[in-house]
Amino acid sequence: MTAAPTLKIEDLRTYFYSRSKQAFIRSVDGVSLEIAQGETLGVVGESGSGKSITALSVLGLISAGPGVISGKIGFKSDRIQKNLLQDLDDFVKLTTKDGKIMAVSKDVVGWERNTDRVMNKLRGKEIAMIFQNPKSSLNPFTPVGKQITEAIKLHTSIKTEQQAKERALTWLDRVKIDSPRLRFDNYPYGLSGGMCQRAMIAMALACEPSLLIADELTTGLDATIQSKIVDLLVELKSQLGITTMLISHDISIISRLSDSVAVMYGGTVFEYGPTRDLLSTGFASKHPYTSGLLASIPSEQSIREKGYLQAIEGDVLDTINIPEGCRFYGRCNQVTEKIREKCARHEPDLREIGSGHKVRCWLYFD
Amino acid sequence: MKNYFQIPGEISESTGLPIWKKVDGVDLAYVGYGLVIVTLVVVSYILGSFHLLTRDPQDIDLGLMMAPPGTAGHLFGTDFMGRDMLSRLIVGIQAYFLPGLLAIFIALFFGTILGVLAGYRGGKFDTGITYFTNLVDSFPRLVLILLVIAAFKPDIYYIMLVVGLTNVPVVTSLIKGKIQFLKQKNFIEADVALGVPTRTIILKHILWHNCRSLLIIQATLGMAEAILMETSLSYLGFGVQEPTPSWGNMVQSGANYFMQGKFWPSTAPALAILFTILGFHLLGDGLNNILEDKRNT
Amino acid sequence: MKPSAIRPIALVLSRELIITVLLLLGVSFVVFIILFASPGDPFSMLLEGQLSTAEVRTGVREAMGMPRSWTMQYLSWLAGMLTGNFGTSIRTGLPVLPEVLHVGLNTLILTTGSLIITLLIAVPIALYSAVRGTDKISWPLTMFSYVISALPIFWLGYIVIYFFTHKLGLFPLAFGFSSGGQKYRWLYQFLPIFVLGVGNGTISEVIRFLRQEMGRVMAEDYIRTARAKGASVWKHSFKEGLLIPVTEIVASKIPFILGGAVIVEQVFNWPGMGRMAWQAAQDRDYPVIMGIAILAAVFVRMGSLFQSVVYVIVNPRASKE
Repeated sequence: MTAAPTLKIEDLRTYFYSRSKQAFIRSVDGVSLEIAQGETLGVVGESGSGKSITALSVLGLISAGPGVISGKIGFKSDRIQKNLLQDLDDFVKLTTKDGKIMAVSKDVVGWERNTDRVMNKLRGKEIAMIFQNPKSSLNPFTPVGKQITEAIKLHTSIKTEQQAKERALTWLDRVKIDSPRLRFDNYPYGLSGGMCQRAMIAMALACEPSLLIADELTTGLDATIQSKIVDLLVELKSQLGITTMLISHDISIISRLSDSVAVMYGGTVFEYGPTRDLLSTGFASKHPYTSGLLASIPSEQSIREKGYLQAIEGDVLDTINIPEGCRFYGRCNQVTEKIREKCARHEPDLREIGSGHKVRCWLYFD
Repeated sequence: MKNYFQIPGEISESTGLPIWKKVDGVDLAYVGYGLVIVTLVVVSYILGSFHLLTRDPQDIDLGLMMAPPGTAGHLFGTDFMGRDMLSRLIVGIQAYFLPGLLAIFIALFFGTILGVLAGYRGGKFDTGITYFTNLVDSFPRLVLILLVIAAFKPDIYYIMLVVGLTNVPVVTSLIKGKIQFLKQKNFIEADVALGVPTRTIILKHILWHNCRSLLIIQATLGMAEAILMETSLSYLGFGVQEPTPSWGNMVQSGANYFMQGKFWPSTAPALAILFTILGFHLLGDGLNNILEDKRNT
Repeated sequence: MKPSAIRPIALVLSRELIITVLLLLGVSFVVFIILFASPGDPFSMLLEGQLSTAEVRTGVREAMGMPRSWTMQYLSWLAGMLTGNFGTSIRTGLPVLPEVLHVGLNTLILTTGSLIITLLIAVPIALYSAVRGTDKISWPLTMFSYVISALPIFWLGYIVIYFFTHKLGLFPLAFGFSSGGQKYRWLYQFLPIFVLGVGNGTISEVIRFLRQEMGRVMAEDYIRTARAKGASVWKHSFKEGLLIPVTEIVASKIPFILGGAVIVEQVFNWPGMGRMAWQAAQDRDYPVIMGIAILAAVFVRMGSLFQSVVYVIVNPRASKE
């Protein structure tokens, strides 16, 4: 019997109400994902597909304001088990008129207090998150080492500065920062982007969380540094076996690090399955969007053959004015006459078509 | 679980929304109140200049001293010498209105010039102007004015000249900041590349299109400050002298009566000061939030 | 602080010190120009006042030759000032500097106390608004701060005096320090400070600035990281969101508060430099008013210097610029 997954997201919806447009911006529009223990799930998508918001929703970091969340997020580690979104609805009041939502009034204070109450035991301790732009994500007024020891003292049984420092130094070493003792006292401005990211990774892992969420880990770093960070993660992954949710728009990173992949578009998951199936060439059943993404990766071979860079036609989905029917209709180049009607009118649901492989596309349903 | 699902359908076009939907109601209230005050001030000024008052502000009526508001014939009551309060308040505006305009004009005029020099030319201009700015900012305004009064005479126009000059740095730094912002966005570079003549760039593109709301806001705040300065100085005895009314000297001469429990002669002008300065402040802030802050998109 | 951090900090501070000196020189020049341009050549009177009366009587002055050109006059006056000779008061005949310093201390107490009061009111309101955004309480608070800032401070003083003299039986003219050992002695000293702190007109701006800065910092990436790791957001946002903005706004409002002190000293008969300045303006006592103007500017620049010091100590990048 399979153990319960570490993270189980069910029909997550994160909307932001825009007063000027009198509608919701539907950043995350029905996402269901699962991550088993020890597994690394890669979430791929373009900017605006909702992948970062999904991660922020898990940690309850959706900033206050007109954001509403519905759905269920189940988190389980050997110490804790809970629904991360419990009771949030109590703080939101909708004003409707003729069945249409006119205004959203949110008890911001209550919402935040509730979120903090639920999440504070988990943040940093059970679930750790690292962000892109590592240089600006570290406190510029505090030495890097102190930021790590702060996390250690908060979330582990280590309480003295001296012991925390030792642990921090061990971890700085593990993330391959040169001269850890020196770097410990440096301020973030004195470190390069790559080193800052390593420090962030150390800060996150030093508390041994059950789930690590990495949001665009390497975006913004130089290409050579990017691949070094990925190498580091591969190594850490094999050493620690930590459950990870890895978010990126860079498919090559996802394919190197993830066990499973979820492809997101317009706030939903279009395709989901084991990496080796999804991202390798030659595997037949793939969502047109995924194939489009893969085809647009520039490679020496493809450029030589075609002479131009392949792109997916059309514009990214407007998350307010979401059309009926499939979100990709209009950009899809694999629509057949047989299913055109369905593609235009009805949104397909996410259905399993093979072992662990799910797709949201009329092409693969009968 | 609540259902936030809303079937996609018609959505109102944001561009078509009238201004009262786009903008925070509070800011509109601020601006509305401020405009009411400005109108009252201007109207009163005109009335005062042409002596179109219902009562003579100097008319002493010892039989009706310190009458409360609403007494027959005296809408706002009378002061400690039986003089009509309302007309005195109206005439009190004469003391600061024109001088205030002078202060505003000086601040905006020189501030703009220096701001453009500092922002557009930069380099040594910028350093020098920054030094000048810090220099002017080193003086408390009132102390500087007292110095000028000691050296010259307690003439309100001299004083407003000083007030205007001391406000130049604020305008300068705002304009300079705007220009730096535009430079950062490459607007100015684009203009120059297109061959637009410098005069047009500065006058039309920078100042008129981008700075005019800023200048209007500074004008409102400048008037608020002029009122504050004039009333403070006449309170201290350096402005308009009795029996000519100024809101400041009215509060001062009513002070003794205040301590005897007769509040009105001091309170009426004090409230006038309060509501008028408040009006200009709110107008400035409201306009600032609507025009400059861009937090409503 | 690491020893390696001290040297760059010292360098930055020396630069700030030099700028302060240059600015004070500029201040002295502005004061000089104003007096020099005034009708009736008061400046010669000033220079005379810098000489002791004995020298004048024995005609040493003629022998030494009064400097004629304006540069010489300025330099001679400046040299006098740098040696502590600010001339003598026209009204009292006493040397200016000791008098001005004495009352300056009183004003310093008044001003510092009032700044504390202003911050005690403004900081909580600003932080509350920054965190809670607009809610039921924030609008009345904002309105309150606007009204307080538009209130004429002299009238506020009257209200306070009336209330305390009639309800508590204080003597209306006995404010300031000199009052003897009555029952409510501390009130005599506290009330002017309170009035200046509340009514100086800067509260709404201070609140607005602090709220804006804290709001900006709250939206920074590193605060998001702090939240994500379950750390205290206040601890991380304090330096950039509160400490630095407070020193910044306080330094910039000192001139304004000194101006308010002139009025409060009038209302409460507080023996400070504001009241002395008022008297000097009435008597056209040039040496005194000039001395006060310069001392006031010195206070302002000290505040500015203090702000730079705090900034450099707190911000690790500042010393690298």
